[in-house]
Amino acid sequence: MHINYWNELTRNNFGKLGLAMLCFVLFIALFAPFLARYDPGEPSHAIFMQPSFEHWLGTNDIGQDIWSRLICGAKNTLLVALGVGVFTTLLSTVIGASAALVGGLCDRILMRLIDALIVIPAFIVIILVAAYVLPNVWTLIFLISILTWQGGARLVRAQTLSLKERMSVYAARTFGANKLYIIVRHIIPNLSPILFAVFIHSATRGVFMEAGLAFLGIADISTVSWGLMMHHALRFYYLDVWKWWLIPTGLALSVTIMALVFIGHAFETAMDPRLRVVEQEDWQ
Amino acid sequence: MIELRELEVRYGKRRVLHGINLTLKRGESLSIVGESGGGKTTLGLSIIGLVEGTVRGEILFDGKNLVALAEKELKEIRWNRIAMVFQNVENALNPLYTVLDQVSEPIVAHKLGDRNEAKRRAGELLSMVNLPEGRFYAYPHQLSGGEKQRVLIAMALANDPDLIILDEPTTALDALTKVEIINLILTVCKERELTILLLTHDFYAASTLSDRMAVLYAGRIVEFGPTPALLSNPRHPYTRGLLRCYPSMTTTKDLQGIKGRMEFFDDGCPFHPRCTQSIEKCREGAPRLEEYDGRLIACHRGGIIPLLELRDLSKSFDSLKAVDSIDMTLYEGETLALVGESGSGKTTTAKLIMGIFEATEGRIYLERKQILGRDKSFYQRVQMIFQNPMEALCHLFSVREAVREPLDIQKQGNREQRESKVQHILEEVELPSSETFMNKYPHQLSQGEAQRVSIARALVLNPKLLIADEPTSALDASTQAKVVKLLLNLQEKRGIGMFFITHNLALARKISDRLAVMLRGTIVEEGPSSEIISNPLHPYTKDLLKAAPTLNSNVPIVPKTTSKKNEGLGCPYANRCDKAIEVCFNEKPQLRIFDSHRVACMNL
Repeated sequence: MHINYWNELTRNNFGKLGLAMLCFVLFIALFAPFLARYDPGEPSHAIFMQPSFEHWLGTNDIGQDIWSRLICGAKNTLLVALGVGVFTTLLSTVIGASAALVGGLCDRILMRLIDALIVIPAFIVIILVAAYVLPNVWTLIFLISILTWQGGARLVRAQTLSLKERMSVYAARTFGANKLYIIVRHIIPNLSPILFAVFIHSATRGVFMEAGLAFLGIADISTVSWGLMMHHALRFYYLDVWKWWLIPTGLALSVTIMALVFIGHAFETAMDPRLRVVEQEDWQ
Repeated sequence: MIELRELEVRYGKRRVLHGINLTLKRGESLSIVGESGGGKTTLGLSIIGLVEGTVRGEILFDGKNLVALAEKELKEIRWNRIAMVFQNVENALNPLYTVLDQVSEPIVAHKLGDRNEAKRRAGELLSMVNLPEGRFYAYPHQLSGGEKQRVLIAMALANDPDLIILDEPTTALDALTKVEIINLILTVCKERELTILLLTHDFYAASTLSDRMAVLYAGRIVEFGPTPALLSNPRHPYTRGLLRCYPSMTTTKDLQGIKGRMEFFDDGCPFHPRCTQSIEKCREGAPRLEEYDGRLIACHRGGIIPLLELRDLSKSFDSLKAVDSIDMTLYEGETLALVGESGSGKTTTAKLIMGIFEATEGRIYLERKQILGRDKSFYQRVQMIFQNPMEALCHLFSVREAVREPLDIQKQGNREQRESKVQHILEEVELPSSETFMNKYPHQLSQGEAQRVSIARALVLNPKLLIADEPTSALDASTQAKVVKLLLNLQEKRGIGMFFITHNLALARKISDRLAVMLRGTIVEEGPSSEIISNPLHPYTKDLLKAAPTLNSNVPIVPKTTSKKNEGLGCPYANRCDKAIEVCFNEKPQLRIFDSHRVACMNL
């Protein structure tokens, strides 16, 4: 059945809430230069200042304005969400769809590869890699994507297998359509709900993993990242700074992740029930 | 007795007859059929030397060339040896004379007796043609059409001719009178050993009165052969067209016409503008009358071409033989209905043709060329209407996009041309071509609308072969009637060959030329639809016919499956057939020929 996903999403309360929250974070990220009162990297103020009119959330251990850092951290988080989402979805699609469409030996090899890769714990591998290269945002996006595309690929493969047996695809073939046309006009558009789901899940996971890694200290020290801020804040928790340094950062991170989760949830309810079952089995 | 050699007749610049070659032996009967205006009467008139145009070629009558003969010598032959019954019953008789006088006139004119002798002979002739004695002195306006026809026949017989040319002797008559006149002609001709040349457009008269038949179109003979063969299996597109226009109790298919109008051509096949299988060659030169399977056909393509041939086609899914070496031929412009219960392999056969399934064995030919690979041009010629329209339409495509998709794939025309084609085809399948409708998505359509969208998709490429898999099963009767009429009209206009899959025998009967009954992957009976409907031979076909819808209230008794196990070795119908014998369970029957059918049954 033809579903207008945008309508479905905005009709759902979770969807509305998620979208509103995401828009809020997006707004902050976009208008950070106007909202921030100081350069987030500028350590030119007194350290550990309490919130005041000049410094809404005070300053940190090296005298940087926390409010400015919080505002600017949104950009980093959304970049990771978008980057991991896009990159993982792309990898999943290319590998999953080609396994299904080419079939035969290629399919078998790719599926065994996925089986093998899916058991590798992404978190540990990234920590290991970080021991040698200090990852910046882009390396992190690359690493997370390359280590987490397998689930999505399986999902895409399963859906493509069922799609290519559809009567409408056969009908297109009987009009003389070649493989490329079928993929572009029939497979991909029909995959789009699945791809969107994969995108949202990957983005959520990307944000979560980036924050987690930064919290463990695995991040380029010069990036303005919420995870890194929490990592630093926690070192000084005895100084009462957590009230203004730790909690707002944690909240911001929660809002972002919740926004993505809510959208994903609303989207799942909009999609057809069969797809949801498949997704639960394959995704977890 | 009479031989026409390269006979040509012109009226001024207009050539009405082209190179007619015919021979007629004594006692034979030959009919010339064709539409009016085709030159039949001119042919008759030129033989008795009454034609007003210029005649070239030879008309040899017992060795004498009538064309070269002087009028005086011709008079000797005319009416004495060759007589003609003229076409127009109303005008052929002189209203001022009684019929007895008129019949005696040729006898007197040719000085075969005096007036009294002539009247006596005329009286004999009139009683021979069963005109009541009281009517002898009637004036023509007092006679009925049938009586006038009798008088005209009596007139033609007056001088005891050897050859009688009958020009539309039965056309204006009602059914019973027609039969009477035909019987009369038959008895008279038998008694007198007359040779008949019948000029008519009435196939009934031609089939009863002639042994051989020539089809005349725009002054040329296009097909010539034994009458029964020509009628049961016409091979020239024009003959088939004529037969399709002629309502008879034998044929079951709906009436179809021939597109266009008759025109005379000096170059090229005269039928090519109306022919659905014409090629470049047909426009350039007129085809010669050549022999194909015991008859003469004037066609560059050798008569109606086989559009689709399936030879020993099989498809197995693991151990299941879904299609088991079937053999079928579909001719250009014809419908082959494939009938059978669900699961008998009908759809699989269709998918094999379309290349959705790969055949396990066998060959498929399209226009006599074996299909080895299928490219865009193949799919431009061959299209399929899928069984379940909701599945066959992609739910992301609006009606407009769905119908335009084939054009997009085939890259036909520019955007506007495609758009107008889409609108045109939607109107053809009785769907609105409004903006609102074209922007609808499949789930907003009713089943019937979706079915018609799917039909429109298949027709938009203007295919030559249409594989229709239950195209009307989802439609209510009124829409079904419209769709079926549309398909038959397209067949008439474009000569679409239709491979029509259905389980509805009543529908198949109305639209098909040939019928094949399929059961468990094999063809159990195949032949012309009218034959199979009127005289089914296979028990399964008989049961299908019993179960076909009627408007009676009786519910037919259909055999139940017996407990006897059918292991697939024997006849596929053995466990349901009430006439099944031991051998039916053990041996698979092969298709054998009975008259015009092919039947696979052990009990025949």
